[in-house]
Amino acid sequence: MSAEVKKYTMEQVEALELAPGAEHEDLEGWIPELATEEELRQALEKAFDYRGDVTLTLRSGERIEAFIFNRRTGATLAESYVQYFTPKAPEKRKVSYAEIARLEFSGKDRAAGKHWEDWVKNYNEKKAAGEKNIGLKPDALE
Amino acid sequence: MAIPISQMWTVSTYVLKQKLTGTKRFPLVLMLEPLFRCSLACAGCGKVQYPPHILKKQLTPEECFAAVDECGAPMVSIPGGEPLLHPQIVEIVNGLIARKKYIYLCTNALELKRRLPEFTPSKYLTFSVHLDGQREHHDFSVCREGGYDIAVEGIKEAVQRGFRVTTNATFFDGTDPNSVRAFFDEVMGMGVEGIILSPGYSYDKAPDQNHFMGRARVRRLFRAILSNRKPTWKFNMSPLFLEFLMGNRTYECIPWGMPTFNIFGWQKPCYLLQDGYVDSFKELLETTEWENYGVASGNPKCANCMVSCGYETPAIIDGFGSWKGFLAMVRGTFNKYPDTGALKLLDEAASHLPAALVQIEEPANSLEETHA
Repeated sequence: MSAEVKKYTMEQVEALELAPGAEHEDLEGWIPELATEEELRQALEKAFDYRGDVTLTLRSGERIEAFIFNRRTGATLAESYVQYFTPKAPEKRKVSYAEIARLEFSGKDRAAGKHWEDWVKNYNEKKAAGEKNIGLKPDALE
Repeated sequence: MAIPISQMWTVSTYVLKQKLTGTKRFPLVLMLEPLFRCSLACAGCGKVQYPPHILKKQLTPEECFAAVDECGAPMVSIPGGEPLLHPQIVEIVNGLIARKKYIYLCTNALELKRRLPEFTPSKYLTFSVHLDGQREHHDFSVCREGGYDIAVEGIKEAVQRGFRVTTNATFFDGTDPNSVRAFFDEVMGMGVEGIILSPGYSYDKAPDQNHFMGRARVRRLFRAILSNRKPTWKFNMSPLFLEFLMGNRTYECIPWGMPTFNIFGWQKPCYLLQDGYVDSFKELLETTEWENYGVASGNPKCANCMVSCGYETPAIIDGFGSWKGFLAMVRGTFNKYPDTGALKLLDEAASHLPAALVQIEEPANSLEETHA
Protein backbone atom coordinates (compact mmCIF):
# COMPACT_ATOMS: atom_id res chain seq x y z
CA MET A 1 0.00 0.00 0.00
CA SER A 2 2.76 2.44 0.81
CA ALA A 3 4.35 2.09 -2.62
CA GLU A 4 1.42 2.98 -4.84
CA VAL A 5 1.79 2.33 -8.52
CA LYS A 6 1.89 5.69 -10.27
CA LYS A 7 -1.29 6.07 -12.20
CA TYR A 8 -1.68 9.76 -12.97
CA THR A 9 0.45 12.45 -14.47
CA MET A 10 0.12 15.98 -13.08
CA GLU A 11 -1.66 17.08 -16.26
CA GLN A 12 -4.21 14.30 -15.90
CA VAL A 13 -4.76 15.10 -12.24
CA GLU A 14 -5.26 18.80 -12.81
CA ALA A 15 -7.79 18.13 -15.59
CA LEU A 16 -9.78 15.59 -13.58
CA GLU A 17 -13.50 16.45 -13.48
CA LEU A 18 -14.73 13.52 -11.42
CA ALA A 19 -12.52 11.41 -9.20
CA PRO A 20 -13.22 7.71 -9.63
CA GLY A 21 -14.62 6.08 -6.52
CA ALA A 22 -13.25 2.87 -5.07
CA GLU A 23 -14.50 -0.54 -6.17
CA HIS A 24 -15.60 -2.30 -3.03
CA GLU A 25 -14.11 -5.77 -2.74
CA ASP A 26 -16.48 -8.33 -1.26
CA LEU A 27 -14.27 -10.07 1.29
CA GLU A 28 -16.75 -11.04 3.99
CA GLY A 29 -16.57 -14.80 4.57
CA TRP A 30 -13.45 -15.24 2.43
CA ILE A 31 -10.84 -17.77 3.55
CA PRO A 32 -7.70 -17.24 1.50
CA GLU A 33 -5.47 -20.17 0.56
CA LEU A 34 -2.22 -18.91 2.09
CA ALA A 35 -0.31 -21.56 0.16
CA THR A 36 2.65 -19.31 -0.49
CA GLU A 37 4.39 -16.47 1.33
CA GLU A 38 3.12 -14.02 -1.28
CA GLU A 39 -0.46 -15.18 -0.79
CA LEU A 40 -0.14 -14.70 2.96
CA ARG A 41 1.29 -11.22 2.53
CA GLN A 42 -1.45 -10.20 0.08
CA ALA A 43 -4.22 -11.62 2.25
CA LEU A 44 -2.94 -9.80 5.33
CA GLU A 45 -2.75 -6.59 3.33
CA LYS A 46 -6.44 -7.03 2.53
CA ALA A 47 -7.15 -7.84 6.17
CA PHE A 48 -5.45 -4.58 7.16
CA ASP A 49 -7.77 -2.69 4.81
CA TYR A 50 -10.86 -4.65 5.88
CA ARG A 51 -13.39 -2.84 8.08
CA GLY A 52 -14.52 -5.92 9.96
CA ASP A 53 -13.09 -8.50 12.31
CA VAL A 54 -11.11 -11.46 11.06
CA THR A 55 -10.26 -14.76 12.72
CA LEU A 56 -6.60 -15.70 12.86
CA THR A 57 -5.56 -19.27 13.57
CA LEU A 58 -1.98 -19.46 14.74
CA ARG A 59 0.43 -22.32 14.13
CA SER A 60 0.05 -23.08 17.84
CA GLY A 61 -3.64 -23.75 17.24
CA GLU A 62 -4.81 -20.63 19.07
CA ARG A 63 -7.72 -18.81 17.41
CA ILE A 64 -7.94 -15.04 17.70
CA GLU A 65 -10.86 -12.86 16.69
CA ALA A 66 -9.25 -9.57 15.77
CA PHE A 67 -9.65 -6.21 14.12
CA ILE A 68 -6.38 -5.70 12.27
CA PHE A 69 -5.53 -2.01 12.19
CA ASN A 70 -1.89 -2.08 11.22
CA ARG A 71 0.77 -4.14 9.53
CA ARG A 72 4.48 -3.74 9.19
CA THR A 73 6.24 -5.71 6.55
CA GLY A 74 9.83 -6.81 6.70
CA ALA A 75 12.10 -8.92 4.55
CA THR A 76 10.93 -12.16 6.12
CA LEU A 77 7.62 -13.36 7.53
CA ALA A 78 9.16 -13.45 10.98
CA GLU A 79 10.07 -9.78 10.68
CA SER A 80 6.56 -8.83 9.53
CA TYR A 81 3.61 -8.48 11.85
CA VAL A 82 0.04 -7.30 12.17
CA GLN A 83 -1.33 -5.25 15.07
CA TYR A 84 -4.87 -5.80 16.24
CA PHE A 85 -7.53 -5.25 18.84
CA THR A 86 -9.74 -8.09 20.05
CA PRO A 87 -13.33 -7.49 21.15
CA LYS A 88 -12.47 -8.39 24.74
CA ALA A 89 -8.99 -7.05 25.39
CA PRO A 90 -8.39 -3.31 25.76
CA GLU A 91 -4.74 -3.28 24.68
CA LYS A 92 -3.10 -3.41 21.26
CA ARG A 93 -1.58 -6.77 20.39
CA LYS A 94 0.63 -8.02 17.59
CA VAL A 95 1.50 -11.29 15.95
CA SER A 96 4.14 -12.12 13.40
CA TYR A 97 3.17 -13.21 9.89
CA ALA A 98 5.19 -16.38 10.45
CA GLU A 99 2.86 -17.50 13.24
CA ILE A 100 -0.32 -17.21 11.17
CA ALA A 101 -1.62 -20.48 9.70
CA ARG A 102 -5.14 -19.50 8.69
CA LEU A 103 -7.07 -16.31 8.07
CA GLU A 104 -10.81 -15.94 7.79
CA PHE A 105 -12.70 -12.74 7.04
CA SER A 106 -15.26 -13.78 9.60
CA GLY A 107 -16.74 -10.50 10.81
CA LYS A 108 -19.25 -8.28 9.10
CA ASP A 109 -17.71 -5.81 6.68
CA ARG A 110 -18.82 -2.50 8.17
CA ALA A 111 -18.03 -0.58 5.00
CA ALA A 112 -20.21 -2.78 2.80
CA GLY A 113 -23.85 -2.57 1.88
CA LYS A 114 -24.43 1.08 2.61
CA HIS A 115 -24.77 2.47 -0.85
CA TRP A 116 -25.73 6.05 -1.38
CA GLU A 117 -28.20 5.06 -4.06
CA ASP A 118 -30.02 2.84 -1.55
CA TRP A 119 -30.34 5.76 0.85
CA VAL A 120 -31.73 8.02 -1.87
CA LYS A 121 -34.26 5.35 -2.92
CA ASN A 122 -35.19 4.67 0.69
CA TYR A 123 -35.53 8.37 1.37
CA ASN A 124 -37.78 8.99 -1.61
CA GLU A 125 -40.02 6.06 -0.70
CA LYS A 126 -40.41 7.24 2.89
CA LYS A 127 -40.95 10.80 1.80
CA ALA A 128 -43.66 9.70 -0.64
CA ALA A 129 -45.29 7.76 2.19
CA GLY A 130 -45.45 10.97 4.22
CA GLU A 131 -42.87 10.00 6.84
CA LYS A 132 -41.07 12.70 8.80
CA ASN A 133 -37.61 12.80 10.38
CA ILE A 134 -36.19 10.37 7.86
CA GLY A 135 -32.58 9.49 8.43
CA LEU A 136 -29.80 6.95 8.38
CA LYS A 137 -28.69 5.86 11.80
CA PRO A 138 -25.20 4.66 12.69
CA ASP A 139 -24.80 0.94 13.37
CA ALA A 140 -25.83 -0.12 16.85
CA LEU A 141 -22.96 -0.81 19.23
CA GLU A 142 -24.56 -4.21 20.00
CA MET B 1 -10.77 39.16 9.81
CA ALA B 2 -12.18 35.97 11.33
CA ILE B 3 -9.15 34.68 13.20
CA PRO B 4 -8.21 36.51 16.42
CA ILE B 5 -4.91 38.38 16.46
CA SER B 6 -3.60 36.30 19.40
CA GLN B 7 -4.08 33.08 17.42
CA MET B 8 -2.45 34.56 14.33
CA TRP B 9 0.45 35.77 16.46
CA THR B 10 0.90 32.32 18.02
CA VAL B 11 0.88 30.60 14.63
CA SER B 12 3.10 33.16 12.90
CA THR B 13 5.76 33.14 15.62
CA TYR B 14 5.64 29.34 15.67
CA VAL B 15 6.21 29.16 11.90
CA LEU B 16 9.01 31.72 12.06
CA LYS B 17 10.69 29.82 14.89
CA GLN B 18 10.62 26.61 12.84
CA LYS B 19 12.11 28.45 9.89
CA LEU B 20 14.81 30.12 11.97
CA THR B 21 15.80 26.85 13.59
CA GLY B 22 15.88 25.13 10.20
CA THR B 23 13.25 22.55 11.14
CA LYS B 24 12.39 20.77 7.93
CA ARG B 25 9.10 19.21 8.97
CA PHE B 26 6.84 20.54 11.70
CA PRO B 27 3.17 20.18 12.62
CA LEU B 28 0.75 23.08 12.58
CA VAL B 29 -2.48 21.36 13.60
CA LEU B 30 -2.76 18.06 15.43
CA MET B 31 -5.82 16.14 14.27
CA LEU B 32 -6.80 14.43 17.50
CA GLU B 33 -9.48 11.79 17.00
CA PRO B 34 -10.49 10.65 20.48
CA LEU B 35 -13.05 8.17 19.13
CA PHE B 36 -14.67 6.97 15.91
CA ARG B 37 -18.19 6.66 17.31
CA CYS B 38 -20.66 9.06 15.69
CA SER B 39 -24.31 9.94 15.92
CA LEU B 40 -24.61 10.44 12.17
CA ALA B 41 -24.00 8.16 9.18
CA CYS B 42 -23.06 10.67 6.47
CA ALA B 43 -22.80 9.50 2.87
CA GLY B 44 -19.44 11.11 2.19
CA CYS B 45 -17.70 9.99 5.38
CA GLY B 46 -15.34 7.03 5.50
CA LYS B 47 -14.29 7.50 9.11
CA VAL B 48 -16.82 5.58 11.13
CA GLN B 49 -17.22 2.16 9.50
CA TYR B 50 -15.78 -0.09 12.21
CA PRO B 51 -16.94 -3.06 14.30
CA PRO B 52 -18.73 -2.12 17.55
CA HIS B 53 -15.77 -2.98 19.80
CA ILE B 54 -13.65 -0.45 17.90
CA LEU B 55 -16.38 2.18 18.00
CA LYS B 56 -16.59 1.75 21.77
CA LYS B 57 -12.91 2.51 22.20
CA GLN B 58 -11.76 6.01 23.01
CA LEU B 59 -8.57 7.80 23.92
CA THR B 60 -8.11 8.68 27.57
CA PRO B 61 -7.39 12.30 28.47
CA GLU B 62 -3.85 11.25 29.39
CA GLU B 63 -3.31 9.70 25.95
CA CYS B 64 -4.59 12.90 24.35
CA PHE B 65 -2.30 15.10 26.43
CA ALA B 66 0.73 12.91 25.72
CA ALA B 67 0.08 13.13 21.99
CA VAL B 68 -0.41 16.91 22.12
CA ASP B 69 2.73 17.38 24.19
CA GLU B 70 4.85 15.20 21.95
CA CYS B 71 3.58 16.78 18.76
CA GLY B 72 3.91 20.39 19.87
CA ALA B 73 1.53 21.85 17.28
CA PRO B 74 0.01 25.19 18.33
CA MET B 75 -3.47 24.17 17.17
CA VAL B 76 -5.47 21.02 17.86
CA SER B 77 -8.46 19.96 15.83
CA ILE B 78 -10.71 17.41 17.52
CA PRO B 79 -12.74 15.58 14.88
CA GLY B 80 -13.86 11.98 15.09
CA GLY B 81 -16.43 10.41 15.23
CA GLU B 82 -18.40 12.86 17.26
CA PRO B 83 -16.22 14.26 20.06
CA LEU B 84 -19.22 15.25 22.19
CA LEU B 85 -20.03 11.53 22.59
CA HIS B 86 -16.76 11.14 24.52
CA PRO B 87 -17.63 11.13 28.22
CA GLN B 88 -14.37 12.90 29.13
CA ILE B 89 -14.32 15.46 26.35
CA VAL B 90 -14.62 18.37 28.80
CA GLU B 91 -11.55 17.15 30.69
CA ILE B 92 -9.68 16.78 27.40
CA VAL B 93 -10.63 20.26 26.23
CA ASN B 94 -9.76 21.85 29.58
CA GLY B 95 -6.39 20.11 29.57
CA LEU B 96 -5.63 21.49 26.13
CA ILE B 97 -6.74 24.99 27.12
CA ALA B 98 -4.37 24.76 30.09
CA ARG B 99 -1.64 23.99 27.54
CA LYS B 100 -2.65 27.11 25.57
CA LYS B 101 -3.53 25.16 22.47
CA TYR B 102 -6.02 26.65 20.03
CA ILE B 103 -8.71 23.99 19.78
CA TYR B 104 -11.24 23.40 17.04
CA LEU B 105 -13.78 20.95 18.42
CA CYS B 106 -15.51 19.61 15.29
CA THR B 107 -19.05 18.59 16.05
CA ASN B 108 -22.28 17.74 14.27
CA ALA B 109 -23.88 19.71 17.12
CA LEU B 110 -26.62 17.18 17.80
CA GLU B 111 -25.44 17.20 21.45
CA LEU B 112 -24.01 20.72 21.52
CA LYS B 113 -26.83 22.62 23.18
CA ARG B 114 -27.19 20.01 25.92
CA ARG B 115 -23.48 19.89 26.71
CA LEU B 116 -22.59 23.57 26.41
CA PRO B 117 -23.02 24.32 30.13
CA GLU B 118 -20.13 21.93 30.83
CA PHE B 119 -17.69 24.09 28.85
CA THR B 120 -16.22 27.48 29.65
CA PRO B 121 -15.77 30.08 26.91
CA SER B 122 -12.12 30.68 26.07
CA LYS B 123 -10.16 32.28 23.27
CA TYR B 124 -8.53 28.87 22.90
CA LEU B 125 -11.76 26.97 22.27
CA THR B 126 -13.80 27.07 19.06
CA PHE B 127 -16.78 24.89 18.31
CA SER B 128 -16.53 24.06 14.62
CA VAL B 129 -20.01 22.95 13.67
CA HIS B 130 -20.52 20.64 10.72
CA LEU B 131 -23.02 22.30 8.38
CA ASP B 132 -22.85 21.31 4.72
CA GLY B 133 -25.17 23.98 3.37
CA GLN B 134 -28.70 25.23 3.63
CA ARG B 135 -31.25 23.16 5.53
CA GLU B 136 -32.29 20.75 2.76
CA HIS B 137 -28.75 20.37 1.48
CA HIS B 138 -27.25 19.73 4.90
CA ASP B 139 -29.94 17.26 5.93
CA PHE B 140 -29.48 15.26 2.77
CA SER B 141 -25.71 15.39 3.01
CA VAL B 142 -25.76 14.02 6.56
CA CYS B 143 -28.64 11.66 5.72
CA ARG B 144 -30.86 12.96 8.49
CA GLU B 145 -33.86 15.25 8.36
CA GLY B 146 -33.88 17.85 11.12
CA GLY B 147 -30.08 17.79 11.55
CA TYR B 148 -29.72 21.36 10.32
CA ASP B 149 -32.24 22.77 12.78
CA ILE B 150 -30.63 21.04 15.74
CA ALA B 151 -27.17 22.23 14.68
CA VAL B 152 -28.36 25.81 14.22
CA GLU B 153 -29.96 25.75 17.65
CA GLY B 154 -26.62 24.65 19.09
CA ILE B 155 -24.74 27.34 17.17
CA LYS B 156 -27.02 30.09 18.39
CA GLU B 157 -26.81 28.92 21.98
CA ALA B 158 -23.01 28.71 21.79
CA VAL B 159 -22.73 32.18 20.29
CA GLN B 160 -25.09 33.53 22.92
CA ARG B 161 -22.96 32.00 25.68
CA GLY B 162 -19.86 33.71 24.32
CA PHE B 163 -18.09 30.79 22.68
CA ARG B 164 -16.08 31.07 19.51
CA VAL B 165 -18.04 29.26 16.78
CA THR B 166 -17.32 28.48 13.15
CA THR B 167 -19.21 26.38 10.67
CA ASN B 168 -17.45 23.63 8.78
CA ALA B 169 -18.73 22.54 5.37
CA THR B 170 -17.65 19.81 2.97
CA PHE B 171 -18.76 20.03 -0.64
CA PHE B 172 -19.20 17.21 -3.14
CA ASP B 173 -20.08 17.02 -6.80
CA GLY B 174 -23.52 18.46 -7.43
CA THR B 175 -23.14 21.28 -4.94
CA ASP B 176 -25.12 24.34 -5.99
CA PRO B 177 -22.78 27.35 -5.65
CA ASN B 178 -25.70 29.78 -5.44
CA SER B 179 -27.10 27.90 -2.50
CA VAL B 180 -23.69 27.85 -0.84
CA ARG B 181 -23.46 31.63 -1.12
CA ALA B 182 -26.92 31.98 0.39
CA PHE B 183 -25.76 29.59 3.12
CA PHE B 184 -22.80 31.90 3.87
CA ASP B 185 -25.28 34.73 4.42
CA GLU B 186 -27.33 32.55 6.74
CA VAL B 187 -24.46 31.42 8.94
CA MET B 188 -22.84 34.83 9.20
CA GLY B 189 -26.25 36.07 10.31
CA MET B 190 -26.09 33.58 13.18
CA GLY B 191 -23.09 35.43 14.59
CA VAL B 192 -20.42 32.84 13.88
CA GLU B 193 -16.80 33.95 13.84
CA GLY B 194 -16.13 32.54 10.40
CA ILE B 195 -16.66 29.79 7.88
CA ILE B 196 -14.48 26.75 7.23
CA LEU B 197 -14.94 24.83 4.00
CA SER B 198 -13.38 22.05 2.03
CA PRO B 199 -13.95 19.88 -1.01
CA GLY B 200 -14.77 16.29 -0.07
CA TYR B 201 -12.09 13.64 -0.10
CA SER B 202 -12.69 10.35 -1.91
CA TYR B 203 -12.71 8.06 1.14
CA ASP B 204 -12.74 4.54 -0.24
CA LYS B 205 -14.90 3.39 2.68
CA ALA B 206 -17.56 6.08 2.20
CA PRO B 207 -21.02 4.90 1.12
CA ASP B 208 -21.15 7.34 -1.77
CA GLN B 209 -18.42 6.64 -4.33
CA ASN B 210 -19.89 8.64 -7.21
CA HIS B 211 -19.69 12.27 -6.20
CA PHE B 212 -16.04 13.02 -5.58
CA MET B 213 -14.95 16.05 -7.56
CA GLY B 214 -11.73 16.06 -9.52
CA ARG B 215 -9.40 19.01 -9.23
CA ALA B 216 -10.68 20.87 -12.30
CA ARG B 217 -14.24 20.74 -11.00
CA VAL B 218 -13.18 21.73 -7.48
CA ARG B 219 -11.47 24.84 -8.79
CA ARG B 220 -14.50 25.80 -10.87
CA LEU B 221 -16.89 25.30 -7.97
CA PHE B 222 -14.79 27.28 -5.52
CA ARG B 223 -14.16 30.04 -8.05
CA ALA B 224 -17.94 30.39 -8.36
CA ILE B 225 -18.46 30.28 -4.60
CA LEU B 226 -15.58 32.42 -3.38
CA SER B 227 -15.30 35.15 -6.04
CA ASN B 228 -17.36 38.33 -5.73
CA ARG B 229 -17.44 37.97 -1.95
CA LYS B 230 -19.85 39.84 0.22
CA PRO B 231 -18.34 42.09 2.91
CA THR B 232 -20.14 40.18 5.66
CA TRP B 233 -18.46 36.85 4.87
CA LYS B 234 -15.54 35.82 7.07
CA PHE B 235 -13.45 32.72 6.60
CA ASN B 236 -11.58 31.01 9.40
CA MET B 237 -8.94 29.75 7.00
CA SER B 238 -5.81 30.95 5.30
CA PRO B 239 -6.77 33.34 2.45
CA LEU B 240 -4.03 31.74 0.39
CA PHE B 241 -5.60 28.31 0.82
CA LEU B 242 -8.88 29.75 -0.45
CA GLU B 243 -7.00 31.13 -3.45
CA PHE B 244 -5.61 27.62 -3.97
CA LEU B 245 -9.15 26.21 -4.03
CA MET B 246 -10.16 28.89 -6.53
CA GLY B 247 -7.31 27.90 -8.83
CA ASN B 248 -5.27 31.07 -8.28
CA ARG B 249 -2.36 29.32 -6.60
CA THR B 250 -0.63 25.97 -6.69
CA TYR B 251 0.68 24.17 -3.64
CA GLU B 252 2.10 20.75 -2.98
CA CYS B 253 0.56 18.61 -0.28
CA ILE B 254 2.29 18.79 3.11
CA PRO B 255 0.79 15.82 4.96
CA TRP B 256 3.04 16.20 8.01
CA GLY B 257 1.56 19.65 8.69
CA MET B 258 -1.62 18.21 10.16
CA PRO B 259 -0.73 14.81 11.64
CA THR B 260 -3.40 12.50 13.05
CA PHE B 261 -3.49 10.62 16.34
CA ASN B 262 -6.27 8.20 17.27
CA ILE B 263 -6.91 4.92 19.08
CA PHE B 264 -4.66 3.09 16.62
CA GLY B 265 -1.68 5.44 17.08
CA TRP B 266 -0.06 8.02 14.78
CA GLN B 267 -1.62 7.59 11.36
CA LYS B 268 0.51 7.39 8.22
CA PRO B 269 0.58 9.58 6.20
CA CYS B 270 -2.31 11.95 6.93
CA TYR B 271 -5.80 12.46 8.29
CA LEU B 272 -7.45 11.02 5.18
CA LEU B 273 -5.32 8.04 4.23
CA GLN B 274 -4.67 5.05 6.48
CA ASP B 275 -1.42 3.52 5.38
CA GLY B 276 -0.41 2.23 8.77
CA TYR B 277 0.32 3.42 12.29
CA VAL B 278 3.33 4.12 14.47
CA ASP B 279 3.72 4.65 18.18
CA SER B 280 5.29 8.10 18.29
CA PHE B 281 5.18 11.36 16.40
CA LYS B 282 8.95 11.19 15.98
CA GLU B 283 8.60 7.80 14.33
CA LEU B 284 5.85 9.17 12.10
CA LEU B 285 8.10 11.97 10.86
CA GLU B 286 11.12 9.74 10.43
CA THR B 287 9.65 6.59 8.93
CA THR B 288 6.87 7.78 6.64
CA GLU B 289 7.86 7.76 2.98
CA TRP B 290 6.45 11.23 2.37
CA GLU B 291 7.49 11.22 -1.28
CA ASN B 292 4.83 8.56 -1.93
CA TYR B 293 1.99 10.96 -1.16
CA GLY B 294 0.51 14.14 -2.56
CA VAL B 295 -0.58 14.89 -6.08
CA ALA B 296 2.98 15.17 -7.37
CA SER B 297 3.67 11.59 -6.30
CA GLY B 298 1.13 10.25 -8.79
CA ASN B 299 -0.45 8.24 -5.99
CA PRO B 300 -4.03 7.65 -7.19
CA LYS B 301 -5.32 7.95 -3.62
CA CYS B 302 -4.10 11.54 -3.62
CA ALA B 303 -5.26 12.39 -7.13
CA ASN B 304 -8.37 14.43 -6.31
CA CYS B 305 -7.28 15.75 -2.95
CA MET B 306 -7.37 19.49 -2.34
CA VAL B 307 -8.33 19.14 1.30
CA SER B 308 -7.11 21.53 3.97
CA CYS B 309 -5.27 18.86 5.96
CA GLY B 310 -2.77 18.60 3.12
CA TYR B 311 -2.92 21.98 1.45
CA GLU B 312 -3.60 24.57 4.13
CA THR B 313 -0.20 24.01 5.75
CA PRO B 314 1.75 25.19 2.69
CA ALA B 315 -0.60 28.17 2.44
CA ILE B 316 0.03 29.09 6.09
CA ILE B 317 3.78 28.62 5.75
CA ASP B 318 3.66 30.72 2.59
CA GLY B 319 1.72 33.44 4.39
CA PHE B 320 3.91 33.63 7.46
CA GLY B 321 7.19 32.55 5.90
CA SER B 322 8.05 35.57 3.75
CA TRP B 323 7.10 39.22 3.31
CA LYS B 324 5.75 38.43 -0.15
CA GLY B 325 3.53 35.71 1.25
CA PHE B 326 2.47 37.87 4.16
CA LEU B 327 1.42 40.71 1.87
CA ALA B 328 -0.50 38.27 -0.33
CA MET B 329 -2.27 36.99 2.77
CA VAL B 330 -3.21 40.51 3.89
CA ARG B 331 -4.44 41.35 0.39
CA GLY B 332 -6.42 38.11 0.32
CA THR B 333 -8.06 38.92 3.64
CA PHE B 334 -9.61 42.09 2.28
CA ASN B 335 -9.95 41.18 -1.42
CA LYS B 336 -13.51 40.57 -2.64
CA TYR B 337 -12.17 38.79 -5.75
CA PRO B 338 -14.37 40.47 -8.37
CA ASP B 339 -14.70 38.07 -11.30
CA THR B 340 -17.28 38.30 -14.10
CA GLY B 341 -16.40 34.78 -15.24
CA ALA B 342 -17.39 33.49 -11.81
CA LEU B 343 -20.74 35.29 -12.09
CA LYS B 344 -21.33 33.41 -15.33
CA LEU B 345 -20.60 30.15 -13.54
CA LEU B 346 -23.24 31.06 -10.97
CA ASP B 347 -25.76 31.84 -13.70
CA GLU B 348 -25.00 28.53 -15.42
CA ALA B 349 -25.44 26.66 -12.14
CA ALA B 350 -28.76 28.41 -11.50
CA SER B 351 -30.05 27.26 -14.88
CA HIS B 352 -29.35 23.59 -14.10
CA LEU B 353 -31.21 21.44 -11.67
CA PRO B 354 -28.93 20.58 -8.75
CA ALA B 355 -27.66 17.02 -8.66
CA ALA B 356 -29.01 14.48 -6.24
CA LEU B 357 -26.33 14.38 -3.56
CA VAL B 358 -27.16 17.59 -1.80
CA GLN B 359 -30.75 18.02 -2.84
CA ILE B 360 -33.87 16.69 -1.24
CA GLU B 361 -36.25 18.99 -2.97
CA GLU B 362 -35.90 22.32 -4.69
CA PRO B 363 -35.40 24.86 -1.91
CA ALA B 364 -37.45 27.99 -2.41
CA ASN B 365 -34.51 30.30 -1.87
CA SER B 366 -31.88 28.53 -3.92
CA LEU B 367 -32.05 31.04 -6.75
CA GLU B 368 -31.97 34.16 -4.69
CA GLU B 369 -28.30 34.91 -5.37
CA THR B 370 -27.94 38.60 -6.01
CA HIS B 371 -24.36 38.67 -7.22
CA ALA B 372 -23.86 41.55 -4.81
